[in-house]
Amino acid sequence: MDGNFEIIAQVLFWGIYSGCIYILLATGLNLIFGVMKIVNFAHGEFLMLGTYITFFLFIMSGFNPYVLLCASIPLLVVIGIIVERLCFRPILGTGKLNEIFVSIGLIYIIQNLVARIWTDEWKTIQSPYRDITLDLGVIYVPLDYLIIMAVTAILLIGLYLFLHKTWIGTAIRATSQDRAGAMLMGINVERMDMITFGIGAALAGAAGTLWAVSGQVFNPYMGSIPAIKAFAIIILGGLGSIPGAIIGGLAVGLVENGAAYTLGGAWKDAVSFILLIIVLIIRPTGLFGEDEE
Amino acid sequence: MPYHDTVTDMKQGISYCILVSILIMGTLLFSGCTEQSAPETTETIKIGVVASMSGPASTTGKDIWQSAELAANEINADGGVLVKELNKKIPITLVQGDDESTREGGIKAVSKLITQDNVDLLVGGYSSAVVSAHQSIVADNKVPYIISGGSSTAVSHRDDIDTSYMFFHRPNTDDSAKASVIFINEVVRPEIYKKFNLPEDRPLRVALIFQDSPFGKGQQEAVLHLIKEMDLPIEIVAEETFKMGESDFRTTLTSVKSKKPDLIYAVTFLNELIPLTQQAKRDVGMNTLILSIENNDDPDYYTGVGEYGDYTLMESRFSPYAIPKGSTSEMTKQFLDNFKQKYGGFAGMMGAATYESIYIATKAIEEAGTTEKGAVQKTLSDLTTDHMMEVMKDGKITFSPDYHESSFDLYVEQMKIDPAVGEIRPSIVWPESIKEKGFEIPDWYQPGST
Amino acid sequence: MNLSFIREKKISLPLITIIIALVLPHILGSNLYFLTVLNLMLIFIIYASAWNFLTFSGQGSLGHAAFFGMGGYFSSLIAIKAGVPLIIAIIAGAGLTSVIGVLIGMTCVRLREWFLAMVTFGFAVIIQTIVVISQLNPITGGWDGYAVPKLIPLSIPGSQMIEYYCILIIAIGSILLFQFLLKSKTGLALAAIRENEMEAKASGINPVPFKLFAFGISSFITAIAGALEVAHFGYISPEIFGTDISFWPIIYSITGGLGTLAGPVVGTVVISLLWEGLNALGLTYERFIVIGVLLILTIIFLPKGLVSLPDAIKNLKKDGK
Repeated sequence: MDGNFEIIAQVLFWGIYSGCIYILLATGLNLIFGVMKIVNFAHGEFLMLGTYITFFLFIMSGFNPYVLLCASIPLLVVIGIIVERLCFRPILGTGKLNEIFVSIGLIYIIQNLVARIWTDEWKTIQSPYRDITLDLGVIYVPLDYLIIMAVTAILLIGLYLFLHKTWIGTAIRATSQDRAGAMLMGINVERMDMITFGIGAALAGAAGTLWAVSGQVFNPYMGSIPAIKAFAIIILGGLGSIPGAIIGGLAVGLVENGAAYTLGGAWKDAVSFILLIIVLIIRPTGLFGEDEE
Repeated sequence: MPYHDTVTDMKQGISYCILVSILIMGTLLFSGCTEQSAPETTETIKIGVVASMSGPASTTGKDIWQSAELAANEINADGGVLVKELNKKIPITLVQGDDESTREGGIKAVSKLITQDNVDLLVGGYSSAVVSAHQSIVADNKVPYIISGGSSTAVSHRDDIDTSYMFFHRPNTDDSAKASVIFINEVVRPEIYKKFNLPEDRPLRVALIFQDSPFGKGQQEAVLHLIKEMDLPIEIVAEETFKMGESDFRTTLTSVKSKKPDLIYAVTFLNELIPLTQQAKRDVGMNTLILSIENNDDPDYYTGVGEYGDYTLMESRFSPYAIPKGSTSEMTKQFLDNFKQKYGGFAGMMGAATYESIYIATKAIEEAGTTEKGAVQKTLSDLTTDHMMEVMKDGKITFSPDYHESSFDLYVEQMKIDPAVGEIRPSIVWPESIKEKGFEIPDWYQPGST
Repeated sequence: MNLSFIREKKISLPLITIIIALVLPHILGSNLYFLTVLNLMLIFIIYASAWNFLTFSGQGSLGHAAFFGMGGYFSSLIAIKAGVPLIIAIIAGAGLTSVIGVLIGMTCVRLREWFLAMVTFGFAVIIQTIVVISQLNPITGGWDGYAVPKLIPLSIPGSQMIEYYCILIIAIGSILLFQFLLKSKTGLALAAIRENEMEAKASGINPVPFKLFAFGISSFITAIAGALEVAHFGYISPEIFGTDISFWPIIYSITGGLGTLAGPVVGTVVISLLWEGLNALGLTYERFIVIGVLLILTIIFLPKGLVSLPDAIKNLKKDGK
C-alpha cells in the first residue's frame, strides 16, 4: 500500500512537470487568441526555437541554461513580432481557418530552416544541477524539476502582474475583451497584436528552454505534437481563458501520464484527444468557454 | 466571378491549359532526366542507392549515401569492376534515390531509379514501411536489390510477391532478439545470481520497454517467442510501449521500477535511448542494468548519454569504438578512418552495411561476368564471400536460400566511463570468441526483489 | 456577352484537361516513373477534391488521413477476408468509412471551426492508435501492416497503364459527382450554410443533415482515394494515418483554390510537379521551405488560389492601363 502511494505520487509529479510545459504553451496560445481571435498552429515551432536558442547559446557561452532564459525570451519576442507582422496580420479577418493554413506553411518553413542551419540530428544539453536530488518525504526528485515548476510559476505570476498592473497589459486586456471598443478608446490594436504575439512566442520559447534543461532531447520536428496538445488544451479549457489554459494544461499532463502508467506509453497522444472529444461532446464550448449564440 | 469578357477568358483558358500541360511534361522530363545528363559515353555500372535524404530518417539516409559513395570511389580508384563479358574494368556510377522517409517518396524514387536511370542494381532501403511500399515494383521489374534495412520479417518473409530479386543484408528482428536473450541467459543471469546468492529456481526478471512500431513490436514478439521456445528461466515482468520520438519516459520508468526488474531490455532509437537511460538513472533512481540494441551504437549515444551510460549494455554488430578482433578488424579500421577523412565524423551501422552491399554487388557482377540482371540475381543467390567489417556466421557472407537473408554474428558490449575522454566507451563482453573483457556488475546494482 | 460562350468556356476547360490527361502517358511513353508520379497525382487529386468538398459546407478537417487510411484498411480487409473483387471491396470499404465519417461528423457539427479542426486531427491520432493495439494485430497486422491485392495484377501486360486509366476514370467520376452535388439543391443549401449559418437557419434550412451529408460524401471519396493508394502500393501499414497525409490535401486545395472544383486539381498538379522538380535539383529541406512560402503567399495575396491567377493578372493589367 505504502509502495503504491509512492508510485502514484511519483506519476503525479511527472504529470505536473509535463503540465508545466503545456501550461506555458497553452497560456501563450490563449493570450494570442484572446486578442487576435486566431490560433497559431505553428506555436510549437517557437518551443523548438527556444530549445535551439538555448542549446546554441549554451554551447557558445557555457552559461547556466536557466540564465539563458533572459536571452531566449527577448529573442523569441522579436521572432514572434516578425512572424505576426509578416504572416498573420495580412490575413486577420479573412476566411475561416486561414490562420491554421498559414500555420501549416509556417511549420514547414521554420522546421526546415532550423534543420538547414543546425541539421536535424537530435540534440541534448545537461543541466549543471543534474546530480542534485531532493527528498520530498514521499518521493525523491531531482532539483531541476522543482526549479522548472518554480520558473513556470514565476513566469505566470509575472504575466499576471504585467496584464493587471501595467498600461500595456491593461490595453491588451481591453483589446481582448472588445477590440472595436479598444480601438475607439485610442488603443493601437495592431500594436497590441504584435506585443501579444511576441509574449505568446516568448512563453513558448521559455518552455523550450525548460524542455532542454530537463535533459529531454530535441530536433527540428519536436514542436508539433506539444503544440497540437496545447491547442487541444485551450479548447478544453475554453478559448481565451487563461485559468482554463492552466487547469487544462495540468489536466492533460496528469491524464497523459496516468494513461502511460495504466494503458501504456503508446496511448499518451491518443488519450488527450479522447479527453478533448469527451469534453466537447458534453460541453461544445470547452470547460471554461463562454456560451455563444 | 466576372464573366464579362468571355471570349478572351476562353482563349486564356486554353492557353492556360496548354501551359499547364507543357509544365507537366517539362517538369517530368526534367526530373526524369537530370541524372542521365551525366556523360554516358563511357560504360558504367549503375547502382541506385535508396536512402532517406530528407524527412525524419535523413541522418541515417546520409550515412547510407556517404558510405556507398566511399565504397564506389574505392572501387573506381582501382579501375572499376571487371566484367568478363566485356573483358575490361568498368567504373561504378551511383544514383541517389531519395525516399523522403515516406512511402510515396520511396515508390517514386525507386521507379525513377529503375526506369529513368536504368540502374543495374539497387542497394539501401531503411524503414520497413517505406520498403514494403516499393517492394512490388522491384519484384515486377526484376532488379536485384540488396536491402540493408527493413529489419522486420514482415518485409523479408513476404509471400504475396516474388522476392527472389531482394537480398537482405541485415539481421532481422529475430536474430538480434536471439543474441540479446542468449546473452542475458548465459552471462547476466549467472553473474547476478552468483553475486547476490539468489536461488537457482528464481527466474530472471526482465522488463521490456519498446517502441510502438514494427521495429519495437518485432523485437517484443521475438523475445517472448524465444523465451518460450527455448524454455529459458526468464520472466518478463513488464512490457511497456512508447510512441516513436518520445522523450519523456519518466512515468513509464516509474511503472517499470515498481515491477522490480533485474534488467531492462530497451528497444529504442538513439534519440529515445539517451533520455530513457538518463531518466532511469537520474529521475527515477533505478539501480539496474539497461540492455539496448544495435542501431543505437552511434557516436551520438556516447556523447549524448554522458556518465549515465556507465555500465549499460548494448547488443551490436558495428560500433565506432569497439572493433572485434579477427579478420574483420583491419578493414573496419580502414573504413572508419577513410570515412572520417572524407566526411568528418563516424560512419554508422547502416553505413557499414551499405558499404558492404556495394562490395557484395560488385562481387556478384564480377562472378556473373555480366551486368545482366537475371545472371546477377543468380550469382547473388549462390554467392559466398568473406565477411568484410561486420562479423558474419562462419566468416562468410551468404544469403539464405529461403528468404535471402545473410546471417550475422552479433555481439554485446558493455560501456564504461573512460576518464581519458570523459565519455563512456564500449568493450565487447560476449560472445567468448571475440570478447575483450568480462561482463561486470557495478557496485550500485541492485537486483529486483523476488 | 451571351450565354453560349459562358457554357463553352465552362465545358472547354475541363474537356481540354481531360484530353491532356488521356494522351499524356502516350506522349511521355509508358514509363514506370512517369506513370507512378501521375498515378499518385491522380489519387491525391481525388483526395484533395474530397477534402475540398467539405469546405463547401463551411467545415474543415485537419485529420482526413483518418478516412484515407480507413478506406485503405476496410477495402483491403474486405477484399482479402471476403474474397470479393477489389472494386466491390473498395466501394464497400468506402461505404463503411463514410458511416464512421458521419459518426465523427456528428460530434463535429455543433463545434466551431477551430474545435472542428482539432477534433478531426485528434480522430486521426486515435484511429492510428487503435489500429496498432495488440488485440487487433491478427486483423490489422499491427505496425507491420499486410500485403494488399493490386488494383490491376502485375501479371497483366501494361498493368501500370491500365491502372492509370482506371484511376483517371474514378478521378473524373468523383469530380463530376461533386459538380452535380454542388449544382443541386443540396449544393445551394451548403452554400447558404457556408456563407451564414444563422441566416440559413432563419430561412428554414437545418444545417445539421447537410453538414453530415458533406462529411459522409467527403469521407466516402477520401476512402476511395486511400483504397486506391494502398492498391497501388500493394501494401498497407499504419503510416497511412500520418500527419503529412492529412496536410497534403490542404496544401493542394489551398494553393489551387479553396472552394472551387478546379482548385484541388490545379493545386495537386502544380505542387507535386514543383516537388519533383525541386527534388531533381537536389534540394531537400529547401523543398519544404519553398512549399511553405508558396502556401503563405497564396493565402495572403491570392486567396482564391492559382485558379484565380489568370483573372488576377488580367485585373493587374487593367489597373496598369
